[in-house]
Amino acid sequence: TPVQTDWRVNVLIIVFTEMRDKLRKWREDNHRNSEQIVDVGEELINEHASKLGDDIWIIYEQVMIAALDCSRDDLAWTCLQELKRQFPGSQRVKRLAGMRLEALEKYEDASKQYDSILQDDPTNTAARKRKISILKAQGKSAEAIRELNEYLEQFVGDQEAWHELSELYINEHDYGKAAFCLEELMMTNPHNHLYCEQYAEVKYTQGGLENLELSRKYFAQALKLNNRNMRALFGLYMSASHIAASPKVNATVKKANVKYATWATNQINRAYQVSYARCLL
Amino acid sequence: LSYFCLFHSGAYCKMLLHAAKYPHCAVNGLLVAEKQKEKKKDSHSTPILCVDCIPLFHGTLALAPMLEVALTLIDTWCKENKYVIAGYYQANERTKDFRPNQVAEKVGARIAENFSEAAMIMVDSTRFTMGCYEPILAIYDHHENKWKCRDCNVDSFEDWCEAQKITSALLEGRSYESLIDFDNHLDDLRNDWTNPEINKSVLHLC
Repeated sequence: TPVQTDWRVNVLIIVFTEMRDKLRKWREDNHRNSEQIVDVGEELINEHASKLGDDIWIIYEQVMIAALDCSRDDLAWTCLQELKRQFPGSQRVKRLAGMRLEALEKYEDASKQYDSILQDDPTNTAARKRKISILKAQGKSAEAIRELNEYLEQFVGDQEAWHELSELYINEHDYGKAAFCLEELMMTNPHNHLYCEQYAEVKYTQGGLENLELSRKYFAQALKLNNRNMRALFGLYMSASHIAASPKVNATVKKANVKYATWATNQINRAYQVSYARCLL
Repeated sequence: LSYFCLFHSGAYCKMLLHAAKYPHCAVNGLLVAEKQKEKKKDSHSTPILCVDCIPLFHGTLALAPMLEVALTLIDTWCKENKYVIAGYYQANERTKDFRPNQVAEKVGARIAENFSEAAMIMVDSTRFTMGCYEPILAIYDHHENKWKCRDCNVDSFEDWCEAQKITSALLEGRSYESLIDFDNHLDDLRNDWTNPEINKSVLHLC
């Protein structure tokens, strides 16, 4: 009957809208949940392409990258062909072709692809960063670090690059240089509690009384910026406890840090109680 | 060698689920064993049964504070449950890289301070398949301040057939999406790093 058909069509529209909105949210949050993106995106492309309008191109890009993550070269290839057809000669699509070569571990071919982009446009930051990713994939950490430093001399405002560099340094146990990168990020993003908290973790790992005190201050700062950051809360407890236990501190400093540690313990207990209560709801 | 450990199916499967959840990251975690009631004279012939696995972190593994928090909390939990932290596992970020690095050696050594027969386990991602046709671990023992590799084969398992069946089934069913590690717990305290739901699934499949 006509009523039944309308109901079914409405459900399909709702399902389609939900899928499209999910993909958008994952794009905005830069989520790397590639299997889910492939699941939702592949169905959206196969069943609902006509309803997507111009959104379809950015969805092809998103699904292609997720497909590479999942070794779905078939799906990645399909998306790439659609994008090539729609945007012939596009640098952005060329970069995607390069990423596919990377996924197939054809690093020399990928590198040539990025070099050709850079010949036409030497300021193409995406191509330069992909070349650095190739070095990382090959385990050439020292070279990746060197290239990334050179890149940042030119593109000093690229936060993603500063963060990547801090991680590369941390993996090499070069905590001093990692701290420097995070300092850059904190300067340009003073309200970002995550950078504060990561900086505190690096300082703590570096060790020594001075670094511990600095780490405690930055854990506290991260908490001020976001009082639900559990890493900052635990970090405050750990750093204050270690300072209080240090034979190098005087009685005043010791007393103050015992106070901080006790405060942190109470806050941690409170946080667990709240979370248990929420579990029961 | 005077000691060896046996893996319970649940412990093995949670290690692999953790690696499967974050294929683009390094992951690490702890293995726990039941606390031996007494140290018999010939205790070297009793295998250490790794009964459970606590996934810890994904991504950057080389920072100290949260690792210390995790070790403290999990140590307390172990004492309450008559367990002991008996091992450490790690899967590196790059698939082809399955050698232990400084982090693995340091954490392994730290665990060995409290448990002399501690094992350090590296996951070999190059042999990681959905079918789990063979064990993909390399086990390292601490000897005279060095880590020495010991072969891991089906004899390292309490019941390899069961471990294979359970791990493969949970991988196919994408159970790794709901696996909780300590990082997830720090993001939201309601996330339970003992993974009761996965434990239930394992029991169900036994």
